Amino acid sequence: MKPPILIIIMATIMTGTMIVMLSSHWLLIWIGFEMNMLAIIPILMKKYNPRAMEASTKYFLTQATASMLLMMGVTINLLYSGQWVISKISNPIASIMMTTALTMKLGLSPFHFWVPEVTQGITLMSGMILLTWQKIAPMSILYQISPSINTNLLMLMALTSVLVGGWGGLNQTQLRKIMAYSSIAHMGWMAAIITYNPTMMVLNLTLYILMTLSTFMLFMLNSSTTTLSLSHMWNKFPLITSMILILMLSLGGLPPLSGFIPKWMIIQELTKNNMIIIPTLMAITALLNLYFYLRLTYSTALTMFPSTNNMKMKWQFEYTKKATLLPPLIITSTMLL
Amino acid sequence: MMTYIVFILSIVFVMSFVGFATKPSPIYGGLVLIISGGIGCAIVLNFGGSFLGLMVFLIYLGGMLVVFGYTTAMATEQYPEVWVSNKAVLAAFITGLLSELLTACYVLKDDEVEVVLKFNGMGDWVIYDTGDSGFFSEEAMGIAALYSYGTWLVVVTGWSLLIGVLVIMEVTRGN
Repeated sequence: MKPPILIIIMATIMTGTMIVMLSSHWLLIWIGFEMNMLAIIPILMKKYNPRAMEASTKYFLTQATASMLLMMGVTINLLYSGQWVISKISNPIASIMMTTALTMKLGLSPFHFWVPEVTQGITLMSGMILLTWQKIAPMSILYQISPSINTNLLMLMALTSVLVGGWGGLNQTQLRKIMAYSSIAHMGWMAAIITYNPTMMVLNLTLYILMTLSTFMLFMLNSSTTTLSLSHMWNKFPLITSMILILMLSLGGLPPLSGFIPKWMIIQELTKNNMIIIPTLMAITALLNLYFYLRLTYSTALTMFPSTNNMKMKWQFEYTKKATLLPPLIITSTMLL
Repeated sequence: MMTYIVFILSIVFVMSFVGFATKPSPIYGGLVLIISGGIGCAIVLNFGGSFLGLMVFLIYLGGMLVVFGYTTAMATEQYPEVWVSNKAVLAAFITGLLSELLTACYVLKDDEVEVVLKFNGMGDWVIYDTGDSGFFSEEAMGIAALYSYGTWLVVVTGWSLLIGVLVIMEVTRGN
């Protein structure tokens, strides 16, 4: 893609999200979502193979449907309250529709089916943008309407998302699909706490973005998209294998790493609101997540994967790939607690 | 009849939407889109928005749909699919039409329909009089406001349209 076009499109992606976050008028919020979606399509289609085309089409269809649902919720809210300001949504139907639309945009269960397929069909860099930046805008709107969200609906979606994120990732060896299921599970954790304490959602979102950025950058450094190629990393970048070890454990939510902070806070907030079974179930199903992160660390850092003999001794070149901001990212994703 | 004209037009509007939502080939979808655009224009006209209705005809039908029609005519196949050529399309079309007719009959009979929202009477669709709009039509004032108070909206929509063009060019470049 020519650099001027790439700059304009990246600027529009950021502008779209900024418009969503900074607007108080529902129409402008919808415009921001549409601008964001339109501008990210060529980013998803960087490689012109049919897989990427299919992934972009799937992304476009689901996000367009979600935007339409959001617009319907906005219109119903306009009908019953007579104004366009984003504030407490008094009509429950409008609130449910908006919540459903925003969870479709996020990839929460039962609207999670597009996440692994889209993430698998695109490059690692596009996948990184998809799983981190694109979550900010819907989360900010959920934050703003959080007093009026139907708790039962969102909690059900959150619980099933954590389940699906854990279970679905178990059989995967492709790293992009693993990160997609990890995203589904983390979104589930975030959605569970919105109606009780939205600040915790922001905390979880921040830490999730930091950890996912670090993970993707480590994968991009090695240009690895499968577990198999990750397992050959010990020879090229032995330092990065240890980084992947602690990063994966942080993603899995193990203390004393910083991935444990959101889980701890969320369980604390939920128990403060007299919910015992749901955080227990969420914590138990988060173990499924931990399993496939551990499998990645095992094959990367802890054992030597079976490989042919000529791969065991590689030329130790200086690596020329630029890893922007990688050390601070890794440190913040693991050492904050 | 003129008091119920908006109601009738709305029903025909939804039916024409059913027509292209059942996905015949794009050229026939464009045909029904012309009809639905015209009916939408008529609905807007009945609420006093004469400028905006004519804008629909001029820009939407006369600009965008014409371009769509030309590109579809270039890319169409020899025997494009009509509503009656495929059993699935025909079934969906008839189902949509029947559901809309049923809803209309419910409204006419009960004077109140509650599916998702309450549509009471045909109160929202009936025009008893044109209303007291003062010396200036509200719609023209709204359009004027778009260019005075709503400058940011014009900037945003203009940028979105530019991005739409750039995105389409990027996507169809294909190398």
